[in-house]
Amino acid sequence: MASEPRLDSARSGLPSGWVQALGPVFGLAGTYLLFALIAPASFRSLDNLETIARQTAIVGAAALGMTMIMVAGAIDLSVGSVVALGSVVIAWLLQFAGASPLVAGLGGILAGTVVGLVSGLLVTRLRVVSFIVTLGMMLAVRGLAKSIAHEQKIDAPLTWLNDLLATLPAERQWMLLPAGVWLVIALALLVAGLLRYTRLGRHIFAVGSNEQTARLCGVPVSRVKVLTFLLGGSFFGLGGLLQFSRLTVGDPTAAVGLELDVIAAVVIGGGSLSGGEGSVFGSLVGALIMSVIRSGCTQMGLPNWVQEVVTGAVIVAAVALDRWRHRRVG
Amino acid sequence: MRTALSLVLIAAAVFALSSCAKPPEPTPDASAKADQAAQPAPAATQGKLTVAVIPKGTTHEFWKSIHAGANKAEEFGVEIVWKGPLKEDNRDEQIKIVEDMTSKGVSGIVLAPLDDTALRLPVQEATRKGIPVVIIDSGLQSEDYVSFVATDNKNGGKIAGEHLAKLLGGKGKVIMLRYQEGSASTMEREAGFLEAMAANPGIEVVSSNQYGGATTETAYKASENVLAPYKKGGRLMVDGIFCPNESTTFGMLRALQDAKLAGKVKFVGFDSSEKLVAALQAGEIHGLVLQDPMNMGYLGVKTMVEHLQGKTVEKRISTGENLATPENMNEPRIQELLKPDFARWLKE
Repeated sequence: MASEPRLDSARSGLPSGWVQALGPVFGLAGTYLLFALIAPASFRSLDNLETIARQTAIVGAAALGMTMIMVAGAIDLSVGSVVALGSVVIAWLLQFAGASPLVAGLGGILAGTVVGLVSGLLVTRLRVVSFIVTLGMMLAVRGLAKSIAHEQKIDAPLTWLNDLLATLPAERQWMLLPAGVWLVIALALLVAGLLRYTRLGRHIFAVGSNEQTARLCGVPVSRVKVLTFLLGGSFFGLGGLLQFSRLTVGDPTAAVGLELDVIAAVVIGGGSLSGGEGSVFGSLVGALIMSVIRSGCTQMGLPNWVQEVVTGAVIVAAVALDRWRHRRVG
Repeated sequence: MRTALSLVLIAAAVFALSSCAKPPEPTPDASAKADQAAQPAPAATQGKLTVAVIPKGTTHEFWKSIHAGANKAEEFGVEIVWKGPLKEDNRDEQIKIVEDMTSKGVSGIVLAPLDDTALRLPVQEATRKGIPVVIIDSGLQSEDYVSFVATDNKNGGKIAGEHLAKLLGGKGKVIMLRYQEGSASTMEREAGFLEAMAANPGIEVVSSNQYGGATTETAYKASENVLAPYKKGGRLMVDGIFCPNESTTFGMLRALQDAKLAGKVKFVGFDSSEKLVAALQAGEIHGLVLQDPMNMGYLGVKTMVEHLQGKTVEKRISTGENLATPENMNEPRIQELLKPDFARWLKE
């Protein structure tokens, strides 16, 4: 489906983009089948599949942005804080500014975009690595969200925004999945297309593979980086919208530690911390693997620590295998 | 071909790792349960009721007591599934657990909601799918639950107030340090206390608008500030103090101890901890209002079972508030509340 170009694909002579995405799919299928065998029958129900899809949407939306940023060789640690900021901004607009749900939702996405723009400008203008800049942004944005909400949560009226990730009522079963999940899937196709077919997409890969070479080849490195952070931020803002949709309140303490889930999804899906690699499809599959482990462990009644140990082991194993494969192919 | 080989290896690794999920079970009893669940049609879903109990967190002693009480209620022939949020105090995590339990198809859910509004939708969803929900500990702004089983906080505050009034002989100056804005349970305690004070014309509440805040540290600072204007020459120009929860009570105790005033002023607090019990013994605290979390877990499950059996249950059930004083603290009934024996029920 979504296979991104890789610089070494010509060398190995294989359509490695496809194969790269297939690895995580195999892992997902294996994990699912395993739990389907050992977990109670309810794990295999269609209802539960829908639940897993709904629970993956927030990490999935954020992972779209993170994939772009990590392909460009950067990282953004402020995801969780931006998601919280987005949810607070939306609740504030609904509750105190009398905004319509559509305007409030767009406001949340805009807030994420602005944060992304600021991060991108700081990274390129100050020439400080993105890890440090976004570590600072993580704290600053979290503080900003708390200040807007006066260190409390903001209650907001129920609107159609809250149906985005709710279980479908009987009369809308034909949709199969809630609108929010479809939105993430549609945007995933869009981002995959952007990375594969547009000039910006190729520039992002070029910058992440080798910044110096890209610069010498005439790629506007700074502009590409700022744009990547800006687009990434808008997807984090969308994550905030989905978070608000589920919580029905604007919660400045929401999504603490989300950045680790999102980064884990991207690396399980074949992304690399050193840039130049990653696939939107793989990242979504990575996010799904973690949700499946969660759901399976919960349905089996296993204690929390088992789930944490298993997820941690899967992350390390997936990346280690990926590295190993690289050495063999490269 | 090499890539194909590595794909197989990934799958094998995930298989191997995921199957590790089963062996590291802590007790033989729990792994027996996991084996049971591994069978296609577990016996539990066929006659025996399964009740999911979902706390706000799992590490605090308060929740351990709730867990113990819920386990004790297994005597009604139910199986308890205990699952708290992976990340403590995380609304989204708790929502996920309610959803998971709903799709798992448990007989009923006993829930201590982290948030009185954010948990409305998943509870509504569970109810719509025919899974009843009993709310414990903290309220939910919804009508979709069977019963609300919790401490009557207003009554707890009133008990504290009446005790303090008795200690003061119905006259004197009193300070109340509040906990935090927006915390429903403690605000009810504060209201109950002030109501009891108003019933005594001889008592004057000289300060009741200061907040201790979230932690013991902030409560300690707030206590010092509240006490400062009433300190004159090593004496305190106040006769009684009330604090509405554990952190404010402990913060105030520390402030009184540092100023060498502990024991010289009548002091009533709320909830217990090792340090507060020691101070009660030493006569530095003259009363602690105690909740009964073990009873809360027990009654939560019991109410659910009764509802599932078709009996009518009360919409609001109080789990009881008790007063521990230096005089009665060694009675078995109070000892049980001060030091709940939850280990016995948690099979630890």
